[in-house]
Amino acid sequence: MTDADHNLTTLIVDDHSIFRSGLRADLAPDIHVVGEAASVDEAIVLVGQLTPRVVLLDVHLPGGSGGGGAEVVMRAAPTSPSTVFLALSVSDAADDVVRVIRAGARGYITKSSSGAEVSDAARRVSEGDAVFSPRLAGFVLDAFGAISGETAQADHELDRLSKREQEVMRLIARGYAYKEVAADLFISIKTVETHVSSVLRKLQLSSRHELTAWALERKLL
Amino acid sequence: MQTAAIVRPRLRVIGGVCAGFAEHTGIAVGVVRVAAAILALCGGAGLLLYVWLWAATPVSEGRTAVKSVLTQPSTADESADAAGSRAPITEILLGIALLLAGGAMIASRMGVSIPLAFIIPAVVALAGAGLAWRQFDELRRGRDSGRSALVVRALGALVLVVLGILLFFVTGSEPNIWTVFFAASAVLLGVAVVVAPWVIRLARDLAEERAARTRDVERAEVAAHLHDSVLQTLALIQQKAEPGSDASRLARAQERELREWLFAENVGGALDLSAELRRAASALENDFSARIDVITTGSAVPEAPEGLLAAAREAMLNAAQHAGGTVTVYSESSPTGIEISISDRGSGFDLDDIPDGHFGVRESIMGRMSRMGGTATIRRGPGGTGTDVLLRMPLTGTEGA
Repeated sequence: MTDADHNLTTLIVDDHSIFRSGLRADLAPDIHVVGEAASVDEAIVLVGQLTPRVVLLDVHLPGGSGGGGAEVVMRAAPTSPSTVFLALSVSDAADDVVRVIRAGARGYITKSSSGAEVSDAARRVSEGDAVFSPRLAGFVLDAFGAISGETAQADHELDRLSKREQEVMRLIARGYAYKEVAADLFISIKTVETHVSSVLRKLQLSSRHELTAWALERKLL
Repeated sequence: MQTAAIVRPRLRVIGGVCAGFAEHTGIAVGVVRVAAAILALCGGAGLLLYVWLWAATPVSEGRTAVKSVLTQPSTADESADAAGSRAPITEILLGIALLLAGGAMIASRMGVSIPLAFIIPAVVALAGAGLAWRQFDELRRGRDSGRSALVVRALGALVLVVLGILLFFVTGSEPNIWTVFFAASAVLLGVAVVVAPWVIRLARDLAEERAARTRDVERAEVAAHLHDSVLQTLALIQQKAEPGSDASRLARAQERELREWLFAENVGGALDLSAELRRAASALENDFSARIDVITTGSAVPEAPEGLLAAAREAMLNAAQHAGGTVTVYSESSPTGIEISISDRGSGFDLDDIPDGHFGVRESIMGRMSRMGGTATIRRGPGGTGTDVLLRMPLTGTEGA
């Protein structure tokens, strides 16, 4: 998807028009906003029509059957297979964010991120990588029992993180960029990206009850 | 006339009444016991007296193990004001009833014809009613002396009332349809009197619970609204304003406060480690143009060691003051220890360059940690720039490793 770098088509989905216009103005020049949607139904229609490369998706959205961002991901993804979703949220509530991620979003960042950060994250997900905010990384460490010393023994294990994945998540939780994680662990950026994607996959597929239980209990992400 | 009160000692043979009485009057315990035994033979008068004294005198010391059926007299120091405000109606009632019974028994022994058939049921019913009302009083004043004690007392009162009323009618001359009818109604009424406090209490609890639920629902609605509107706006302000500007700082502080309020289960009480770190972060954000992200993982630490917190605060202060920009605080608390890392992207510093007189790092961070048995490591921050302070605190307390 190297072509996408030149002109990354984007759809902004948020029910606050101020936020949409603010974000639109702040995005990097190579991010091309093809449309805006304010509700679940609108977003689903526009994704199907415009087939944007990236959807910047608010977690809390009116309309549809009340499922918010997660509902958009689930219903819109089949209509446009090439589209990836990046969740944007002011919410710290883990159950919200985990729901969107498990529905299929490729990443999550907070709304207070700058335009440059959002643009960067959009580029990253469009290239197939996953985007984890420090907070999400912290939550993942907790939810997969990494803090209490649980480590996956085999690569295919979905319910625990491998040693390397834990190290990567720890550094991301400490605010390191991928490049910095790579330098710190003496691995390539590509490897870091692979690890993050694998964690995302586990987050989406794992049946660990902590993923939901923790989220509800802590209300933090 | 208030004289020194009779109190029953904690060490006792039966109820401690004789010992208490002996103590109070100065008569030898043995004499008192023999007297009580003799009195008990006089138609049970001694027994009644014993029971009355047992019920009416408190156990020595303010706290009563078996909470006696009756209030503590106003001479007991601790309860002086509480009991003083209330006439001991129950005690008087019970006392009169028991005395009457005793007197009647003696009189009947001496050949005087006394309608015992009426008096005994009356006494029993009176005692039951007294107990019931006593209970009601306790409940109303919100004194809960344990569920089981209340249940036992309630059942006792209930049995007494029923027994008394039944006795009254059954021993009466030839029962007919009306006496049975009155007996039934009287029993029902008696039970109602005893049960009334419970019903009232239940109703009160129910109302309180309902009110609490309503409050929760309202709170959730307010939270949802604030979440959608105010938090969004605050995020937007932070996004639009210059990083480190007053506007963005204010917006961030407000956002933090609001978030704390929205997601706090019940504010108050001791803050745990993550709350302490967050609080320190927001205080520093108000003073310096830095943005401090606090991420905490692991189990909650209700009472983090003060020294660890102080060291973390110092490191955060250094980062906010000298580096600015975005500072990340990451804490991890596992059963074996607590680890806090504070990293910034400033120009960094070399520990060897710090003059010895500079207390900030050497003393407040490293010294503090080593005194508590922990360690502090300072190294280059993310990407080789800035500073990364890593505080490690092993937990070797009761939990073990």
